[in-house]
Amino acid sequence: MSASLLVLIPLLPLIGFLINGIGFRRIPRGAVGIIGSLAALGSFAVSVVVLMAFKEAGSTPQVVSLFDWISVGELSIPFSFQIDQLSLLMLMIVTGVGSLIHVYSAGYMKEDEGFGKFFAFLNLFLFFMLLLVMGSNYVIMFIGWEGVGLCSYLLIGFWNKNTDYNNAARKAFIMNRIGDLGFLLGIFTIIGTFGSVEFTEVFRQATGLPVGDPVVVVITLLLFVGATGKSAQIPLFTWLPDAMAGPTPVSALIHAATMVTAGIYMVIRSNVLFTLAPATLEVVAIIGTATALLAASIGLLQNDIKKVLAYSTVSQLGYMFLALGVMAYSASMFHVITHAFFKALLFLGAGSVIHAMSGEQDIRFMGGLRKKLPITFITFLIGTIAIAGIPPFAGFFSKDEILAHAFEHNKVLWVLGLLGSIMTSFYMFRLLFLTFFGSFRGTHEQAHHLHESPTSMTLPLIVLAVFSALGGFMGVPEVLGGTHQLATFMSPLYEGARQVNPAAFAATTLSHSEEYLLMGISVVAALVAALAAYVVYVRRDSVPAPETQERPALQRVIYHKYYIDELYDAVFVKPIRTLSALLFSFGEFFIDLVVNGTGTLVKVLSGQLRRTQTGSTGYYIFAMVVGIVLILFWNLLLR
Amino acid sequence: MSPTLSLFYFLSFLTVLSALMVVFARSPIHSVLYLILTFFCLSGHYILLNAQFLAAVNIIVYAGAIMVLFLFVIMFLNMKKEDEESKTNLTKVAAVIVAGTLGVILVGAFRKSQVGTYNPYAHDSQVGMVESLGHMLFREYLLPFELISILFLVAMTGAIMLGKREVGERHF
Amino acid sequence: MYPIVLLSVLGIVVLFLGFMKSKSVLLPATLLFLVLALASNFIDWNQGKVLYFYEMLAVNNLTLAFNAIVLVSAFMIVAMTRGFQDQEEAQPAEYYGIMLFSLVGAFMIIGYEHLIMLFVGIEILSVSMYILTGSDKSNLRSNEAALKYFLMGAFATGIMLFGIALLYGATGSFNLTDIQSYVSIQGRGVSYILYAGLLLLLIGMLFKVSAAPFHFWTPDVYDGAPTIFTTFMSTIVKTAGFAAIFRLLSHSFTPIYSFWWITLAAITVLTLLVGNIIAVYQNSFKRMLAYSSISHAGYLLIAVTSLSPQTENAILFYSLAYSIATISAFGVLMLVSKKKALEGQVDESYAAFNGLAAQNPLLAFVLAVSMLSLAGIPLTAGFWGKFFVFGSAVERGLVWMLVVAVLMSAVGIYYYFRAIIAAYLKEGDIGKIRIAPFYRIILVVATAMTILFGLAPGIFEKLL
Repeated sequence: MSASLLVLIPLLPLIGFLINGIGFRRIPRGAVGIIGSLAALGSFAVSVVVLMAFKEAGSTPQVVSLFDWISVGELSIPFSFQIDQLSLLMLMIVTGVGSLIHVYSAGYMKEDEGFGKFFAFLNLFLFFMLLLVMGSNYVIMFIGWEGVGLCSYLLIGFWNKNTDYNNAARKAFIMNRIGDLGFLLGIFTIIGTFGSVEFTEVFRQATGLPVGDPVVVVITLLLFVGATGKSAQIPLFTWLPDAMAGPTPVSALIHAATMVTAGIYMVIRSNVLFTLAPATLEVVAIIGTATALLAASIGLLQNDIKKVLAYSTVSQLGYMFLALGVMAYSASMFHVITHAFFKALLFLGAGSVIHAMSGEQDIRFMGGLRKKLPITFITFLIGTIAIAGIPPFAGFFSKDEILAHAFEHNKVLWVLGLLGSIMTSFYMFRLLFLTFFGSFRGTHEQAHHLHESPTSMTLPLIVLAVFSALGGFMGVPEVLGGTHQLATFMSPLYEGARQVNPAAFAATTLSHSEEYLLMGISVVAALVAALAAYVVYVRRDSVPAPETQERPALQRVIYHKYYIDELYDAVFVKPIRTLSALLFSFGEFFIDLVVNGTGTLVKVLSGQLRRTQTGSTGYYIFAMVVGIVLILFWNLLLR
Repeated sequence: MSPTLSLFYFLSFLTVLSALMVVFARSPIHSVLYLILTFFCLSGHYILLNAQFLAAVNIIVYAGAIMVLFLFVIMFLNMKKEDEESKTNLTKVAAVIVAGTLGVILVGAFRKSQVGTYNPYAHDSQVGMVESLGHMLFREYLLPFELISILFLVAMTGAIMLGKREVGERHF
Repeated sequence: MYPIVLLSVLGIVVLFLGFMKSKSVLLPATLLFLVLALASNFIDWNQGKVLYFYEMLAVNNLTLAFNAIVLVSAFMIVAMTRGFQDQEEAQPAEYYGIMLFSLVGAFMIIGYEHLIMLFVGIEILSVSMYILTGSDKSNLRSNEAALKYFLMGAFATGIMLFGIALLYGATGSFNLTDIQSYVSIQGRGVSYILYAGLLLLLIGMLFKVSAAPFHFWTPDVYDGAPTIFTTFMSTIVKTAGFAAIFRLLSHSFTPIYSFWWITLAAITVLTLLVGNIIAVYQNSFKRMLAYSSISHAGYLLIAVTSLSPQTENAILFYSLAYSIATISAFGVLMLVSKKKALEGQVDESYAAFNGLAAQNPLLAFVLAVSMLSLAGIPLTAGFWGKFFVFGSAVERGLVWMLVVAVLMSAVGIYYYFRAIIAAYLKEGDIGKIRIAPFYRIILVVATAMTILFGLAPGIFEKLL
C-alpha cells in the first residue's frame, strides 16, 4: 500500500475545499456541486482500492509514516496514518455515506445563496473526519476531532440570519469544547504515562499493566468525557437536537452518520485501555443506557420531523455506548455502520419531505404524503423498519447483538435496552404514519406545491435504502446460520485487549434457544409498538395537539368506541407521555441550566469584573499596591 | 552611639520628613522646595557612604538643574493657587492603610533577615572618587553606560516630537 | 550583541535621514536596517554561550531566537506603516528612529547577564512606548493613555528598582551567574531580603507583560494608542518581557523554585481568568485584543511557572505564533478602521467587520486565520503554541492549572469567533478596501506562516 495513495484520501476533499472555498462566487453553480461531489467520490474510490489492497495483503495492519511532525523533548509525534480494520471500516462509512450525501446536497441546496460555501465546508468536514479516523496517534485524532467540531459549528450556523441558529451553533461548539477538555487532558495524561501518543506504542505498553490500574481508569474516564461531548451522551447531549438548525444534509452527514460516532470510534480504538478499566466500562454502560432511554422517551412527543430523528440519533448512540460498556466492541461498530445507513437515509428522506413541503418541518401539518412522494415514502419506510429492529433489515442484527451482549452482562441493562427499543419502534412508526398516512393537513399552497424530489436526491435515498435493507447481512450471527463476517474481520483489533482480559472475549455462553428467545422477544416488542402506533395514528387518525390547545385529544378519545384503546391510552400512552414530557422538560432544563448557567456566569462575571477598569490611574495604582501587599504578606510573613 | 551613627539617624529622619512634606504640601512650589531639601539629605547620605563624587553630582544635577526646571514650569503654568482636593477621605485612609501595611511587612521581613557585614580593614577610601568611578564606568560598565545615551536620545526625541506643535497632527 | 550595536547606530542614522527632503527613503531604509540587524544577529549562531562586555550580555541560541522573533515582528509592523504616511504630512523619521531604539532595549532584556542591563533595557523600551502611545497628539484618548502609561510605568519601575537594590543587598552582586551561585549555595535558607527583592523585581517585570493584578493599564493604553503602536506593544514588548522573566527565573532562581512557583501560579490563574472573562464583554475589537493579550500573557506564564525542559521551546513557539497572529489581526483592523474613518465614522468595534468577506475575501480570510490561531484551533500555529505550553505544564504536574487554562481557552472561542461571524456571516456594507501591495504581502506572509507552523510545527524545531 503506497503512501501516496493513502494521502489522496484526505487530500481530495481538501482540494475540493480549496477550490470551492477560494473560488467561492466565481465558480458556476453547476461546477461547484460536481467538484464537491467528485472530491468525495474520488476519496471513496481510493478507499475502496485501499480496502482491496489491504485484504489482498493478508489483512495486516500497517502504519504509514509520512513525515516527522514534531518532537518535543522525549516525545516525538510523526504524521502518519494507520490502516487497519477499524480505520478502513470508518473510511468506508465516511467516504461512502459522505459521497451520497454530497450528491444529495447538489440537489437539495441548489437554490441556496451560499451553495459554494456549503460545499466548501462539507469538503472540509470530510477532510477533518478522514484525519480523525486515519491518524495513527491521539494528536492527529484530536486535530481531526477539533476540526470536525469547527465544521459542524460553521454548518449549523449556515443559515446565519436567524439568531437562534447562531446560538445553536455556539451551544454545540461550547459543549463540544467541554468534551474536548476531557479528551485533551486524557491525551496529556497518556503522554505523561506512556511517553508516547502513537496508538501501537501506547497499547503495547498498556498490555503490561494490570486490570483496574488507576491511571488507566483516569485516562479512560477523561477520554470518555471527550466522547460524551462529541457523541452527545448525558450530560452533554442537548446540543445535538438544537444542531438540527443546520441544513438537512448536514444533519444527515455530521449529526447522524459520521461525526457523532467519533466518540465510539475513539473508544474502540482505545479498546485495550478501556478493557483495562472495568470501572470506566460500568460508567460507559450506565450512561449509554440512560441516554438511550431518556432520548427515546423524549422522542415520543416531538413534533418536528428533524427533532424526532435527532433524539433518535442520541438514543441510538446510547445503544452503541451500551455495547461498548459491555465490551461488545464489534457489536457497537456494527451498529455504527447500520445506523449510518438507516439514519442517513431517514434524514435525507426527511429532507426530501421538507423540500416538498417548502420548508415545513412540523409533522402535524403533513400527512398523506405517500402518494405524492412515492420514492421517499418507500425508502423512508425501509429506514423505519430497519431502525425499529424488524428482521431481516439492518437494524435488527446490530441491535439484537447489542441486546444479547447486554443480557449476558447484566439483565437489568437488557430490560432497559428492550424498553428503549420499544419506544424507538413506536416513535419511528408514529413519525412515519403522521407524515405519510392519513390526509394532508397543510395549507393549500403547500398541497399544490407537493412534488417528488429530483433524481440527484432520490438516487442516494435508493442506494441507502438498499444498504439499510441488506446491510445487516454482513453480521449474521452464528445462531442464524451466518458466520458474522464483520466480527471475524474486526477480531484482530482486540489482540491486546484479549491478552489483558481473555474472559471478556470468550465465546458466548448463551445457548441457541436463549438467543432465539431474546430475538423473538425484541422482534415481537418492536412489532407491537409499531402496531400500537398504527392503531393510534392511522386507525384513530389522531394528531398530536397543536401548541395552542391544551389537550383536545382527550375528547377524541372519549368519542372512540374501543374500550381497549382507552385502556391502552390510560395505561401506556398517558404515563409515558407524562414521563416523557417530564423528562424532556426536566432533563433538558436541568442540563441547559448547568451549561447555559456557566455561560451566564461568565457573562455576569465579565460584566462585574469589567467595572474594575474604572479608568482612574489612582485607583489602578491602588489596586496594584494591594496586589503587592498581598503577595509580600503571604510570601514573607505567612510562610 | 558614634557621631556617624547619630548623623545617619538625623539625616534619615530629615529625609523621610521632607519626603513626606513633598506629598503633603498644598502648594506645588513648596513641594518642589521640600524635594530639593530631600535631595540635599540624600547627598548627605552619599557622603556618609564614602561616595563623594555622587554626592556632588546629585546636588548639581538634581537639586540644581532639574529642580530649577521644575520651578520654571510651575511658574509658567501659574499653578500657585492650591488645587482643591480631588480625593475623598476614604481613598486617603485606604491608601495610608495599604501603604502602611506594605511598610510594616517589609520592616517585619527585614528584621528577620541577616544583613551583610563588611571588613573595615579592606576598605578603600578612594572607592567613591572620580578616578575609580571612571575606571568602573568605562571598563566593566561600558555597555550599559553607552546604552543609557540611547535612553536619553529616545527621551529627547520624544520630548521634541510631543512638544512640537504642527498642523495635521496625526502621524500614523 | 551585534544587533544592539548596529541598531543603536542605525537608529541615529534614521534620525538624520529625516533631514532629507524626500521622506520616501525612510521606510525602505528602516526595513533594510532591520534586515541587516537580523543578519548580524546570526553571526553568533551556534557559538554556545558567549558573554560580551565584561559579562554584561549573554548570547546563546535561545536569546538569538528571541531576537529574531522580535526583529521579524518589527519588520512586519514597520512594513505596515506603509500606506499611512503617504496621505499625511508626517515626520516619520522620529517614529522609525524610536522604534529602532526600542528594539535595542528589547535585545538588552532578552540577553541581559547583569541586572543593570535589564533595568536600562526596560527603561529604553518603556520610554519609547510612552512616546509612541502619545504620538497621536490631536487625539485626547491617546494623550490620556500615554500619561497613564507613563505614571503607572514609573511606579512599576520604582518597584523593580527597589527589588534590584534588595537583590544586590542580599547577594552583593548584580550578575545573574553570581546570584545563581549564591542562591544555590544557600538554598531555601537565603535571607528574606533576597525573597523580597526577587518578588519586587518580578512584580515590576510582570507589570510590563500585563499580568493580573498589574494589568490595569493595558486595556486603556492599548485602546488609546494608535493601532500600529498597539501592535508593537502587544507583540514586541510582550515577547521581550517574557524572555526576560524566563531568563531571570530559569537562570538564577531555579534552586528556590519551591519558593516562587506558588505566587507565580496564583498570578497565572488570575491573569487567565481576568483576561478571558472580561474580554467576553467587550464590544470594541481593539479592546478585546487588549484583553486577549492579557490572557495570552497568562498562557505564557503557565510555561514559565512550570519551568520544565520544554519551557524554552514552548515560550519561543508561543511568542512567535501569538505575535504573527496579533500582527495580522491588527493589520486587518487598521485597514478596516481607516476605511471607516474615511467614511466619516471611527469604528473599531466588531461591527466594523460586518460583511467584510463579501468585498474583501483576503482580509476576511486573514482575520479568520488569525482569530483561529489566537483561539488555538488545530492546524494553526496557535494550537501548537498552546499544546507545547500545556505539555510543559503536564511535565511539571500542574494539571489543575491546565484545567483552568483549557476552560478559559473555551471562553476565548466565544470572543474570537465573534469577529469571524461578523466578517463572514453578518450583513454589512464595507466597500472594496484598497491595500498597498507591500501591506498585502505582509498579511499574506503572516497568514501563511500561521498555517505553515500549524501544519508542520516541526519546521520551527528544525530551524533551531
